[in-house]
Amino acid sequence: MGQLLIGQTLNGVIVGTLYGIIALGVTLTFGITGIVNFALGEFMMIGAYLTWYLVDLVGLPFPIALLPAVVGAAGCGFVADQLLFRFTRNNLVNGLLVSIGLISIIEAGALLLWSATPKDMSYVLTGALQLGAISLPKMKLVVFALLAAVIFLTYAALSRTWMGRAAFAFAQNAEAAMLMGVRTARLQSAVVVYSTALAGFGGALYASLYSLEPAMGGLYILKGVEAAILGGIGSPIGSLVGGVILGVTEAIGSIYLPSAFRDAYGLLFVVAILLYRPSGLFGSDR
Amino acid sequence: MTALRWLPWAALALLPLVLHSNFILTIFIFSFILGMTAVSFNLVFGFTGQLSMFHAAAFGIGAYTTYLSVSLWHVSFWIALLPASALTVAISLVVGAICFKFKLKAFYFAVVTLAFSELARLVVLNWNNVTNGTLGLMVLDKPVLWLPGAGSFKIDGTTAWYYFSLVGLMLTVLVCAIVLRSWIGRCFAAIRLNEDLAQTLGIDIFRYKLLSFTIANILAALAGSLYAFYTGYIEPSYLSIAQSLDIIAMVLLGGRTSIVGPIVGAFVLTGLPHVIELSAEMRAMLYGLILILTILLMPNGILGTLVGRRRAA
Repeated sequence: MGQLLIGQTLNGVIVGTLYGIIALGVTLTFGITGIVNFALGEFMMIGAYLTWYLVDLVGLPFPIALLPAVVGAAGCGFVADQLLFRFTRNNLVNGLLVSIGLISIIEAGALLLWSATPKDMSYVLTGALQLGAISLPKMKLVVFALLAAVIFLTYAALSRTWMGRAAFAFAQNAEAAMLMGVRTARLQSAVVVYSTALAGFGGALYASLYSLEPAMGGLYILKGVEAAILGGIGSPIGSLVGGVILGVTEAIGSIYLPSAFRDAYGLLFVVAILLYRPSGLFGSDR
Repeated sequence: MTALRWLPWAALALLPLVLHSNFILTIFIFSFILGMTAVSFNLVFGFTGQLSMFHAAAFGIGAYTTYLSVSLWHVSFWIALLPASALTVAISLVVGAICFKFKLKAFYFAVVTLAFSELARLVVLNWNNVTNGTLGLMVLDKPVLWLPGAGSFKIDGTTAWYYFSLVGLMLTVLVCAIVLRSWIGRCFAAIRLNEDLAQTLGIDIFRYKLLSFTIANILAALAGSLYAFYTGYIEPSYLSIAQSLDIIAMVLLGGRTSIVGPIVGAFVLTGLPHVIELSAEMRAMLYGLILILTILLMPNGILGTLVGRRRAA
């Protein structure tokens, strides 16, 4: 039992960091552009398929394939921002619908290109670390470390660099930030593109662990939004913690409670948080 | 002006006499029933300013409860609408009370209603011995109607369903119009325009938001029952997020500022992908493209843009 519990917790943590990287994108986009980009899951899917394509069909080694995959996802993000999201700043409902239209288009495109048959990428790193009776697959540890590192680096960049502080300032008071010389339009585009790059990175790592299908993005964006709310909108560390809490709750919940309802446990958590602490675990009270 | 308002309805009522294509009439039936859902959703979204994501859940709960009442208690379709409405009211009151008591707004209200909607879907999906899980239920019954002169007959076949769903849509529009023209509608507008001010003026925000949410959900539940008995099939995807989003898209596409606007959206989104012969993937792409282009080019929706032009001219 103990072994099962630890194994499930570990799985929950890995899936949770994947939720966390999407949540980070959600939180940043929402803070700076006032919309929730529901198409982030699709950029994750693009990153995952690009990685699979580059590794399995082109034959690049996985670490080298990561870069073009992330750049590819971010490139699509740039195009989407310039063509679409640029016109829906600070309009929650329009942004929501434009991203839904985009989901429909990208997903149909993926179906046309790669069909609905799930794709499995060849293993990148096999084997597991043995800690007593518990075995930890190496690749899962690597994925966890990379995702957590990216989230912490983003946090550091936001609090240390000029651009990051500009973003914080902008989120607090757009007009004042503009008067202080923040190029707001450029900042907003940069954040949208960065969030799609994060999603693409998450997708690339996802490809090394799980099988891919065109509809995979839908689940992750929902969990990402939940995690972002749980951690507190606007908090990068909160999105990681929120994601991990969500992942672990689901994993452990499905041991003791019917696993058909695993998607519900996280939702109940989110509802409880929203009712009693609407700013989330790490959010500042306003 | 009043005559102009009745003209489209009269045209719709006369259409089956002129047009005998079952294919096109079927698209109309789907548009009418989905139009009912969109119109009722707009009561809470467009007129009260609350982005509810619970609409598909109400639609699905209505469909399932009506059918289950018919098959378990062997009552007629009409009687079965009562438990369906009652259950929808009960659930709406609980969900609405939680959301509004805690003063959830905009995005947060959307997320919490979405969460409850997903819970409802999961219950339907996993309550296998009642709802038959993912496989869904076959609805073999059709409602029986008694009309003076015609006696009682089963509503079956395209033309009968055309008129039945048209009447359903007209009743939905009528209910919304009555509600919105009364003092209730003015309270809704006050809440939409400035919640704090509305409260200062002595409007019980909690009560009117709850009222709007509940009325909209009952109407959606009735539309769901109609949909189930028309298609003859109920599945858990009736309660899916995609269904909620479709309804929102119809409302924005048609225009959220008028009662009948969403019907135009329902027609475009239901009809257009079928009128043009396309593969499923291309259809999804076209759907996405229509959605994006309308939002970006016609932010007031199709009807809003047309009416705005006429006023400006």
